[in-house]
Amino acid sequence: MAEPVFDSAAYKKIGMIQQRQKEYFAMRLRAVGGDLTTGQLRKIADVADRYGKSGVHLSTRQGVEIHYVHHTNLEKARQELASAGVSMGACGPRVRIVAACPGNATCRWGIIDTKTVAHDLDQRYFGVETPHKFKMAVTGCPHNCAKATENDIGVMGAILPRWDAKACIDCQLCVNTCPTKAIVREEGPAGDAARYILDEDKCINCSICTSSCPVSAWTPAATGYNLFIGGTMGKIPRLATLLKRLIPNKEELYRLIEKSLRYYQEHGRKKERFGHTIDRIGVEKVKEEILHG
Amino acid sequence: MDSDIKKKIDLHGVACPMNFVKTKAALASLAAGDLLEVILDEGEAILNVPRSVKEEGHQVVRVENLGETFRVVIRKG
Repeated sequence: MAEPVFDSAAYKKIGMIQQRQKEYFAMRLRAVGGDLTTGQLRKIADVADRYGKSGVHLSTRQGVEIHYVHHTNLEKARQELASAGVSMGACGPRVRIVAACPGNATCRWGIIDTKTVAHDLDQRYFGVETPHKFKMAVTGCPHNCAKATENDIGVMGAILPRWDAKACIDCQLCVNTCPTKAIVREEGPAGDAARYILDEDKCINCSICTSSCPVSAWTPAATGYNLFIGGTMGKIPRLATLLKRLIPNKEELYRLIEKSLRYYQEHGRKKERFGHTIDRIGVEKVKEEILHG
Repeated sequence: MDSDIKKKIDLHGVACPMNFVKTKAALASLAAGDLLEVILDEGEAILNVPRSVKEEGHQVVRVENLGETFRVVIRKG
């Protein structure tokens, strides 16, 4: 019997990846921000038992994959998963499943509602065609657990700390715990209290000073989103470029993400990740065109 | 301020969360308003213990960098 021939690009588009065992496929499932209900997990386990090898693979980007599904069972397996609200992921040159950390819903450090942002981005862009793969991640704060800076689009919760001279007791905890030494203590002139100065260029907008200050002399003067573009791991790793800090609202955040994605669609070459497009054209030029073009 | 310190404990080399547990126990032996001096390691210890102390209602009043450790003075709340 002749070996079956598959249009692997068409399968990849719907998250089905041909294995080296050519009759078998890996089914990549869509878990936005790594979230699945227990009911969905049971259904996935059930499908993996019946059509796979009674196991799942957890991908590096929070995805769940069922491996060893025979090509004749793909459609049945897909329909059963769909009955529990589990849809297929994506592979190939398009926007992938959006990854996210738990964010401010549960994490004590979380500054933003990562899940809402991840779902909004998923709704707008999942599966949209791009020159090469395109990954997005949303992380609640500059601890960067969701690795926003390793993604083509990275959203990070951020605060701008402000110092209140009246509240400060000059304990120096902030100076000693700021991870980037962005806070400097300046001795006051004889008799005057010391001053604390924030170097906004060095500040990474985390909330270590505001959350540990014993007297709330450091408080968040502003909360927003830091937007990164052009991060990638892979064969030629490149950490993301900070496009804009402390974007005050989702509307502006989404407008800039839209512009960034369009820019890549217009200027990116085939098999060229967004970050490499940015480097080819020039970081400052690309930033300028996205921000003000 | 140093002459007012009622108790000193050296938690160099003591990992989280034991360093906080020991800090808490030391504070428990003091009266409200008393000062406790704690030596804490750099890294996790200096990040976590002062924050946990704050959550328990006490106040860090002085932090001095000693190199790989910190001298932290806490006022019992």
